[in-house]
Amino acid sequence: MITRHQLPVEAFAALASGGGGPAVVEHLRGVQYSKHLMLLQVTATEARKRDPASPEIAAFLAALKLLTKVQETDQDAFGWLFGLPHIGAWAHDCLQREDQGLPPDFGYLASAAAAAGVRAGVPFELDAPVRDGTVAFPGLGHFDGIDGQPWVRLRSDGERLAVGALPAMPCAALVPDDGAAEPVACWHGTPVARVTAGGRTWSVLLEDTDRYLDLFGRPTAAALTAAEAGNWRTRLQGAWEVLVRHHRWAADSIAAGVSVLVPLTVRSGADMESATTPAAFGAIATSWPPDPVIMAEMLVHEFQHLKLCGLLDMVPLTQPCDELVYAPWRTDPRPASGLLQGVYAHLGIARFWNVQRQAETEPDEIFRAEVMFERWRSTIGPSTATLMRTGCLTEDGIRFVSMLGNEGRRLKSEPVPADATAVATDVALDHWLTWQLSHMAVAAADVAGLAAAYQRGEPPQECAPPEVRVEGETRKVNSSVRAELLRMRYLEPRRSREQGVAETPGLSAADELLLSGQAAAAVQAYRNEILAAAEPQPEAWIGLAHAARGLGQAPYLPALATRLPVVFDVHACLITQGVRSDPLELAAWFG
Amino acid sequence: MTVQVLESAIPDLRAVPVDRLAELGGAVLANSIDLYRQRLQESSLPLNSFSSSI
Repeated sequence: MITRHQLPVEAFAALASGGGGPAVVEHLRGVQYSKHLMLLQVTATEARKRDPASPEIAAFLAALKLLTKVQETDQDAFGWLFGLPHIGAWAHDCLQREDQGLPPDFGYLASAAAAAGVRAGVPFELDAPVRDGTVAFPGLGHFDGIDGQPWVRLRSDGERLAVGALPAMPCAALVPDDGAAEPVACWHGTPVARVTAGGRTWSVLLEDTDRYLDLFGRPTAAALTAAEAGNWRTRLQGAWEVLVRHHRWAADSIAAGVSVLVPLTVRSGADMESATTPAAFGAIATSWPPDPVIMAEMLVHEFQHLKLCGLLDMVPLTQPCDELVYAPWRTDPRPASGLLQGVYAHLGIARFWNVQRQAETEPDEIFRAEVMFERWRSTIGPSTATLMRTGCLTEDGIRFVSMLGNEGRRLKSEPVPADATAVATDVALDHWLTWQLSHMAVAAADVAGLAAAYQRGEPPQECAPPEVRVEGETRKVNSSVRAELLRMRYLEPRRSREQGVAETPGLSAADELLLSGQAAAAVQAYRNEILAAAEPQPEAWIGLAHAARGLGQAPYLPALATRLPVVFDVHACLITQGVRSDPLELAAWFG
Repeated sequence: MTVQVLESAIPDLRAVPVDRLAELGGAVLANSIDLYRQRLQESSLPLNSFSSSI
């Protein structure tokens, strides 16, 4: 009798608090193994409906036979293959293609089975697909130089493998490339990094060619040169030392759960990018990290996503729900499921920086770590409250988010220096104000009603409360130099000090006053900027609300702090009627 | 009474030979696969992160 995977409540609680040691990760990996076999069966059912004489189906059925042999002979080799994120990504693609009425890539299983056969040392003979002159051995590498044919015959006696007309190679030599192996003709082992620190070793493939791990919505790097692979090994070694020395809670779990890194090509002008997907447990995609600490943070961050994806395969935490909400780490509105992923990742990030701020020795690095800790720990409470409010959580989801919130409160109780808190608060406030003006739409009729009431001198309370909803893009708000300089204060403190704010291109006089700490003067300058412009000025309104917050008390503060999109739209409505209202008087009118 | 384990939608196939999967067929796997499909519809997109940019 087949049972279902179960998760002990202790493991659930450990994951909910942002942790989950190697034993919990092994549990998640076991579920992925079963998931991959389950999805394989979907594709096998589809294959058996088709012509067994076609090359794709013949290769697939031969692969199933080989896999049966591998499983009987060497369970480790079979387990290795069905633990690979390559298989998860392929199986996921097969399911999606089937759902779209498209034929799955049956042939890939022949390549995968051959890789397991080589690893297990079992004899086999089957055809594998050739793409661009190469035949893939997922998780191991690929052969090239096989031109002009869609399929190639693979023959192995368990000791040596012959690929078409190429000379037979010892199976033992067909391994990933650790940078020190002897070259094998036409064989390109997938680069592998084996990093060691404090007696702990982590082995991770640098997957640069597998077509199914190119699914992160970002361009993957071209096949790595030996020098590039060496650079990645060095950077991984540095990050691993950071993790093992200071973040053992994360290091051991990452080593147990992450087997593949997919190098991405950074887009021009973009920050470092990283990604995971529920389809490929164990794989993290990332562009080149600027330093070992940021790489360590990225690994913690992305591994949080992987753990949550693994848990979600077992237990639904959210249910279908249309509401979009604010996520303090994104510029776009997010569904509850996205907010849950984000807050879980940022719980890991906050835990990382809480330790890292003790580990750093240079003042600027300590400051960066303190601000990062404050910035991200402060998002946990409000984000978990939002999740609870949406009603989009399942019963297990409510338990999970409740425990996650408890961990957030524990982190929030840690002391942080006032200067770091001030910078983090400024950045968070600017982000929240910008998001409100970008995405909170106010019903036009309500805006018109309020504008008319203002002109008649009636109190706004006589109008019905305006209807506000979240939308993709409500108003065009340009990325501001002000926000960039705010972030530079902690991401690049030295540059921020040296550069200052005076005469920065794109920075308004009001922004300059705000960034110089002259809140009262900044309020007046933003007010003048808004009054002098013929068109609505969202960036100036954001600056005005930001500066006003620094004054403590003022009659216009409550509306700017809590109803900025409404005040902005009423002001814009008045402009269209030829009325140039004073932004501070208008905000004060709202009370 | 406290629940000690959470039951998942994924069948435990760790002890099942690959050539026996077809025999499980219908009831055992179909329901789990339907649940998995449903989850994919809700959250199949990659989770992209933009480190330190916000």
